[in-house]
Amino acid sequence: MATINATLSVSSGDLSSNGLSLSKTMTMTKAGTATGLEFSSGLIRRKLTATTLIDLVTVGAQMYGTPTASVANKLYVKNTGSSSTDYIDVAIGDSETDSGEELLATGGNSKITLGRLYGGEWMLIPFEGSTNNDIIVAPSTAEATTIEWMLFFE
Amino acid sequence: MATTTASLTLTSTDLFDDSLSISNTSTLYKAGTTIGLDQTTGLTKTYVTATQQFDPFPVVKDATNANENGRVYIANMSEEETEYITVSIGDAVIGRLYAGDFMWMPWSPRAQHVNDIEITPSVATGMWIEYMAIHNFANIYPDSADS
Repeated sequence: MATINATLSVSSGDLSSNGLSLSKTMTMTKAGTATGLEFSSGLIRRKLTATTLIDLVTVGAQMYGTPTASVANKLYVKNTGSSSTDYIDVAIGDSETDSGEELLATGGNSKITLGRLYGGEWMLIPFEGSTNNDIIVAPSTAEATTIEWMLFFE
Repeated sequence: MATTTASLTLTSTDLFDDSLSISNTSTLYKAGTTIGLDQTTGLTKTYVTATQQFDPFPVVKDATNANENGRVYIANMSEEETEYITVSIGDAVIGRLYAGDFMWMPWSPRAQHVNDIEITPSVATGMWIEYMAIHNFANIYPDSADS
C-alpha cells in the first residue's frame, strides 16, 4: 500500500459577501478499507494537434495494469497550456467521431460532456472504469495542446 | 466579477521509488475570458437517509450554458470507510466517492437530463455530503411549478 494525499483549497474574498475558504484533504484508499491505493499510471503527458475527439483514459487492460471497475480509483487531468481561450472538452463515453451528446443508454456512439479545461485548469474525479466509461477529450484548437493525466487505481 | 482560486496538491512518498509532488493553482474564469466566475450555489451540507438517487445539480430545460465554464465540488463526509456515494452525469457513472473522498470537476451543462449531476448513496443509514457549484450560468435551478 501507499499513502497518497490530495488537498483541495478553494478561496475567494468576494464571491459572496462573507467570502469563501474551503480546504479538504483526502487520503486515497481502496474501496471500503483504510488501505491506500498502490497502483498508478504514472504522470502521462500527451500533445494533441487536432480537434479530433480521442480516448484519453480507456477502461480495461492497459500497459500500466488493469484498473478494477467500480471501486475507489481517482483521476487527475490538467490542461498544461496558458490560454484563456483554448480549452479541452472532457467527456465520458465513446470517442468515435460521430459520438453524439446523449444518454449513453440510447445506443450507438455517444458521450456525455463534463465540461471544459482551459489553460492551467485541472480536475480530480473518481474513475468508474466500467464498460463505455472511457474518459475522452477534444481540444478546441488544432494548435498544440498538452494534457497531463494520472490515474490512481486498485 | 469575483476572484476565486482553487489549488490542488497531490503528494506521496511511497507510491513510487521517488516522491510524488504535484501542485496546481488556477483562478476560476468565465469561459474564454479572464473575468472571474461570479455565482455560486453556496456550500451545501446535507444528510441523506435513503439510497435514492438525487440531483444536486440539475440542468434547466432550454438553459444555454453549454459553452460556460463552471466548477463542481462534491465530498463524502462520512467517516465509515465502507460507505460511498456514486456520482453520475446523466446515465454515465463518473465514479465512487468513499468516506472522506472529494472531487473537483468542470461542468458545462448542455442538456436537461443528459448533463444532470446525480448522487446515489450506498446506504440508507445516514450520510453527510457536501457540494457546491461555482459558475456563471443563466440558471441551474428549475422554475417554481407555480410560476
